[in-house]
Amino acid sequence: MKQPHWQRRLLIALTTSVFVVGIGPVAQAAEVTLLNVSYDPTRELYTDFNKSFGEYWRKKTGDTVKINQSHGGSGRQARSVIDGLAADVVTLALAADIDAIATNGKLLPVNWEERLPDHSAPYTSTIVFLVRKGNPKNIRDWGDLVRPGIGVITPNPKTSGGARWNYLAAWAWAKKQPGGSDATAKEFVKKLFKNVPVLDTGARGSTTTFAQRGIGDVAISWENEAWLATQELGPDKFEIVIPTISILAEPSVAVVDKVVLRRGTRTVAEEYLKYLYTPEGQEIAARNYYRPRNAAVAAKHAELFPKLELVTIKDFGGWGKAQKEHFGDGGVFDQIYGQ
Amino acid sequence: MKIRRAAAGASIAALLPLAGTALAQTDPASDSNSDLRQEIEEQKQRLLVLERKLEIQQEAATAAAATAPRLTLNASRFQIGNTDNTNFIRFRGTLHADARTYGGESVPETADTFILRRVRPTLEGTFGGIYDFKFMPDFAGGRTSIVDAYAAARFHTAATVTVGKFKPPVGLERLQSSADIRFIERALPTNLVPNRDLGVQVSGDFAGGAFSYAVGYFNGVPDGQSSDNLATPDVEVDTAGDYAARLFFQPFTNSDNFNLRGLGFGIGTTWVDVDGTAANTALSAYRSPGQQSVFSYRANTATGTTPNNATFADGERLRLAPQFYYYRGSFGILGEYTTVEQDVSRAVGGVTRSDTLKNSAWQAQFSWFVTGEDEAFRGFTPGSTFRPGKDGSGAWEVVARYHELDIDDAAFEGGAASFANPLTAVSKASAYGVGVNWYPWNTVKLSLNYELTEFEGGAATGDRADEQALLSRFAINF
Repeated sequence: MKQPHWQRRLLIALTTSVFVVGIGPVAQAAEVTLLNVSYDPTRELYTDFNKSFGEYWRKKTGDTVKINQSHGGSGRQARSVIDGLAADVVTLALAADIDAIATNGKLLPVNWEERLPDHSAPYTSTIVFLVRKGNPKNIRDWGDLVRPGIGVITPNPKTSGGARWNYLAAWAWAKKQPGGSDATAKEFVKKLFKNVPVLDTGARGSTTTFAQRGIGDVAISWENEAWLATQELGPDKFEIVIPTISILAEPSVAVVDKVVLRRGTRTVAEEYLKYLYTPEGQEIAARNYYRPRNAAVAAKHAELFPKLELVTIKDFGGWGKAQKEHFGDGGVFDQIYGQ
Repeated sequence: MKIRRAAAGASIAALLPLAGTALAQTDPASDSNSDLRQEIEEQKQRLLVLERKLEIQQEAATAAAATAPRLTLNASRFQIGNTDNTNFIRFRGTLHADARTYGGESVPETADTFILRRVRPTLEGTFGGIYDFKFMPDFAGGRTSIVDAYAAARFHTAATVTVGKFKPPVGLERLQSSADIRFIERALPTNLVPNRDLGVQVSGDFAGGAFSYAVGYFNGVPDGQSSDNLATPDVEVDTAGDYAARLFFQPFTNSDNFNLRGLGFGIGTTWVDVDGTAANTALSAYRSPGQQSVFSYRANTATGTTPNNATFADGERLRLAPQFYYYRGSFGILGEYTTVEQDVSRAVGGVTRSDTLKNSAWQAQFSWFVTGEDEAFRGFTPGSTFRPGKDGSGAWEVVARYHELDIDDAAFEGGAASFANPLTAVSKASAYGVGVNWYPWNTVKLSLNYELTEFEGGAATGDRADEQALLSRFAINF
């Protein structure tokens, strides 16, 4: 006996749907790929981390996960994701860049920071100075960077997250000086950028400019990048100077919802970021000179991370306000740079 | 900008020896010596800065190039997309201009003709590296039809979902594109399998293509037909759709054994329980290699406006199509056997006769690139191109085939009540074909085929006269 026509159609539609939905996860079980779009100096961190997570995931699920990396200036990376780079996760230099992906690209919810502990910043860092061995220009604090003839290396705040932290740390120091105000801070930062001969697009580029091309007397640098330069490029060539005041830099991470939904990678992408908070993930961060959130791991590596006075982004009214006032089109940076 | 920076760098570099000379002529202990050293250091820094700025500029240009849209225009591709081909739109085209001429008595002289067989501008593309689309109309034959129009989602190599109008997964030569078929017209088995139809299909590969499958559900079309040929084009016109499936194996495709790498075999099938009527028979005619109609079921002959004595499909239709190919170096063999079991009925004089007819067809086709290129089921590139007055002859290929179509004898039983008229419809066709293909360029193909077809039945005097068809084609496929 023939089935009624509509029943046949329904049967086919259901069968196809079940097949597609069913085979999707099964098919992906063999090997999953993720793309982590990150900022400039995290290459070494995520090389170590990806290897550890791959082993963890294989033990947990039996699946193989291959993680592709993309690195560049944090702002530029965010732009690429908005423009279509299919990042399953973003691990960028600052929350403002992920905010841009949420608000301009609408690829994840605006409350993304609430989805992971520590407002989705699993490790922190700060900003220090990298100088040549012996500190021949006797650079001790932010005020030395505006002396005539001092070459300062820092990336472009328009494209680099690290550069924005650098800028804000300098601003905070200037404002805390006797008689300090927004006006004096603006004037200080303006003088500082007059001593910058090259604006790289990202922090790794600035390290190259300073350490490998031999340009400048001091590089304003991520703490982790400064450590890496001294360890990898030669402790006999460079040394680190800790300024009196710096800023608590909080690189942020997030799953890019629209991409993982399309690619069926939400579970593994979420687990990937959660693994950053585990003791193993925190240990890897510390080994790569990022300040871990986990107190036990932080205590273990305390000698790497000297204590200093740190301002936070909240002192600038949060990233939304700071981004608009300082780095937006027509903002303070546009006003001072090139004048 | 680059030239200006380079000139500046050169100027600074030129200053350095002068400064050095000046230094050599000065008392090392003097203040001016110290000033010169400082000046040299500053000039050196400036030079380094200029070099670094140039380096950054070049890095930015390289990065911009990697993400910039890429336009590809060459002899075989017109495409715009991104650099990793995850998003692109491609323009393709097919133009087949044929000349047909016939010898013997079976085909009237009026059938000799030039014909535009295919005129198909095609737009296809991919989004996000996963979602494909294809839109291919055809303007040949004085009409416009949509040949292919589908979207596909490649969720995984083992699971691609395709929706729209495309080829159901059955006949081997039917699944070979019109640019890749070795003869101008496909062989007799293609009469029995669906051409294009609307439906949904899930398909995929396993083990690096060693095993592939496709299953689908389609509106259903009569043998050899496209849904745009139906009385109401591109919609379901009967009461049920066709289930279609195909399994295909290339067990040595990833092997180091080059003798067997080109072996592929499998089977395609469709099944439907279809209710035709005398007005909408759900049956079709079959064509000869020369594209002449040589078999059809009885059409309505009753007077009045309502057809009532045509033969029509009335029950299950099962197609089975075992198939294989084998390619080794410049030789290729393709074979397929296709059967259609079709329940049919016909009402004559108040009596309805019903039966299950089993029609079948098969072919064996051989191809050889005389110029040494590798034979393949899909795609090929000539070893040389032909340019008048210069070296290079393009690729030359010779082809040969034998193919048969056999109609169930039961179709002709019953006298005036038979399902097919033995005086006009042949019961068997046996065809010998030879041909030569010349590919002067990888997008241009000139073909010449000769096909001799012998028939059983199909004429008042017994057997229909042999068909001698000389077909030629000028083809552009890109």
